[in-house]
Amino acid sequence: MFTQQLVNGITEGSLFALIAISFSLVWGLLKLVNFAMGEIYMFGAYAGWIVVSYITPNLFLALLAGFAVGWGLGWIVEKVAFKALRGVPHIASLVCTIGFSFLFKEIAAAIFGAQTKAMPSFYSSTALVVAGANVSWLQIFMVALAAAMMLLLQLLFYGTKIGLGVRAVALDYRTAGLMGIKVDRVTSIAFSLSGALAAFVGVLAAIYYNAINPYMGFVPGIKGFTAAVFGGITSIPGAILGGYLLGIIENMSVQFVSSGYKDFVSYLLLIVFLLFRPNGILGKKAKL
Amino acid sequence: MQNRMIALLSAVLVLVGGASLWAAGGTDNTIHIALTAPLTGDYAEYGVNFQRSVQMGIDEINAQGGVLGKKYVLSVGDSRGDPKESVSLAQKWTSDPSIVAEIGDFTSSCCLASQPIYDAAGMVQLSPTASATTFTPGSVWSFSIVGTQAYEQPFMADLAFNKLKIKRMAILFINNDWGMDTQKFFKENFEKIGGKIVAVESFFQGEKDFNAVLTKLKESKPDALYMATMYNDGALISLQRQKMGWDIPVLGPSSLYSTELTKLGGSSVNGLYTNVSFFAKDTDPRVQAYVTGFQKRFGATPNFHAALAYDAIYILTEAIRRAGSTDKQAIRDALAGIKGFQGLTGTITFTPNRDAIKGYKAVQVVNGDFKLLK
Repeated sequence: MFTQQLVNGITEGSLFALIAISFSLVWGLLKLVNFAMGEIYMFGAYAGWIVVSYITPNLFLALLAGFAVGWGLGWIVEKVAFKALRGVPHIASLVCTIGFSFLFKEIAAAIFGAQTKAMPSFYSSTALVVAGANVSWLQIFMVALAAAMMLLLQLLFYGTKIGLGVRAVALDYRTAGLMGIKVDRVTSIAFSLSGALAAFVGVLAAIYYNAINPYMGFVPGIKGFTAAVFGGITSIPGAILGGYLLGIIENMSVQFVSSGYKDFVSYLLLIVFLLFRPNGILGKKAKL
Repeated sequence: MQNRMIALLSAVLVLVGGASLWAAGGTDNTIHIALTAPLTGDYAEYGVNFQRSVQMGIDEINAQGGVLGKKYVLSVGDSRGDPKESVSLAQKWTSDPSIVAEIGDFTSSCCLASQPIYDAAGMVQLSPTASATTFTPGSVWSFSIVGTQAYEQPFMADLAFNKLKIKRMAILFINNDWGMDTQKFFKENFEKIGGKIVAVESFFQGEKDFNAVLTKLKESKPDALYMATMYNDGALISLQRQKMGWDIPVLGPSSLYSTELTKLGGSSVNGLYTNVSFFAKDTDPRVQAYVTGFQKRFGATPNFHAALAYDAIYILTEAIRRAGSTDKQAIRDALAGIKGFQGLTGTITFTPNRDAIKGYKAVQVVNGDFKLLK
């Protein structure tokens, strides 16, 4: 049963890790948190649901649709909450993203209705049995897809001009601007990418849990953010590590403590850990 | 600037004052009642059915000339299944002098949260569905017609142990007032008749990942799983259980009796046992009249909770008729005195604690459809 919980934890952790990357991306560039991330995740799930239930039962098309919708929503949030509010205190942007979070939820409830809707499953048959633990094809697919996504991001950041631009802007946007980097464009791309990533995870989660509703984004949004802080929000590898650790710890605390204390145990650990290492696992010390 | 502000303020005051005068003036030939229900959020299906049933009942009563020669006017508020929202709605209803009674809310948590406000204001709070045993004893103004878990769970324990021969049971419950009660009464009764509870686990509202908790429950090797949950969580749990390849009999309280359960859960909920006091396929002509009327008007089949809301408006009407006035105290006293009321969900008699004792029928999901168990 230990291995089964480990498998459950890694699968859930993949979802957290990808959301955590979304948060790290935005934080790295703007030192800000996008609290509408959970709702972008939710809209991604709905986009995927529309594709598989009305157009064609194709998982890859659903993921693509989620990615595209997330890109668009990320772009909108950046234009309104960040670009239009640049120069005013950061708190305004922060509150603006909270506003978007509620707005998106209510829009989804108005369009699709507030009821839970069923999402069909894919690849749910058992692929292999490891030490008594059932691993389904979907779980393998999710973990592999998450790993591929992370690899692609790494390639993007360290192998392309845009990636170089993102890193330069993250380091110092004024100097980067003076060096001829189009700061607005780079920020917009990175922000849209973070939204696309969150929405992509939303589709995966919808398939994994077989259900969607307008309020599904809140908990994963908070947990993704937590994972990012846990791993060190300034570092993308840290966000990945934080995501997987949070997933595993949660599942283990169900096994060894009690399901009612699942969040209690994981957040207690997080608070204690941050007391001793405020920058997270791989986070760098903040420069003052 | 300041003058303009003062002008604006006085304009607002005049408008508000006028509006309340207008509202108060309407009480001569109308009876205003309020409905609190979760029209959006996790419990939306139940809340929307509340609204449909109560509106349907009111339209029928008004068409027959109303009650005491007055027509009903309904105010509806959306609590979203959130106790905080339920409290603000209670404040809104009780501060409106034209409203004489309230029907709602759906969850026990919401009803308990808003109870002190109805109690202080002296207004009937008639919940069709609140089944937490702590609810109605909390205030003389609180009524519930669903029948508490203290009556429903002995039936389920008997069904599991004596009829289905289940000896070892694992319980998974939603951690709120209702879930705690359901779990507690099932456990007590199941153990009393000789069953063994091998594991008890819980989750909080909004949880979507049940893999970990199901893995743990599976380890305790039960004969069956008892899900003390609502239909949407129940469907999710069943889907994830099926994916895990854990094939086991599943039982649960009447909250699982919903066409949405089979729609969301698909083949994973086949074989599930639950119970009902109201069954849409009942041959009783009154039930059939309600079901076909509901289907014609809303294009959906009413479930148990919808029928309870329908019973709620009719039992309230009966109380107002007996009271002979719209005095809040008189309505409460008449309601408390109702015995043997023939509702669609069975005969309703209020106990001294103002909750109702009901009869139950066992049902099972067979190929995506609820069938009465013989």
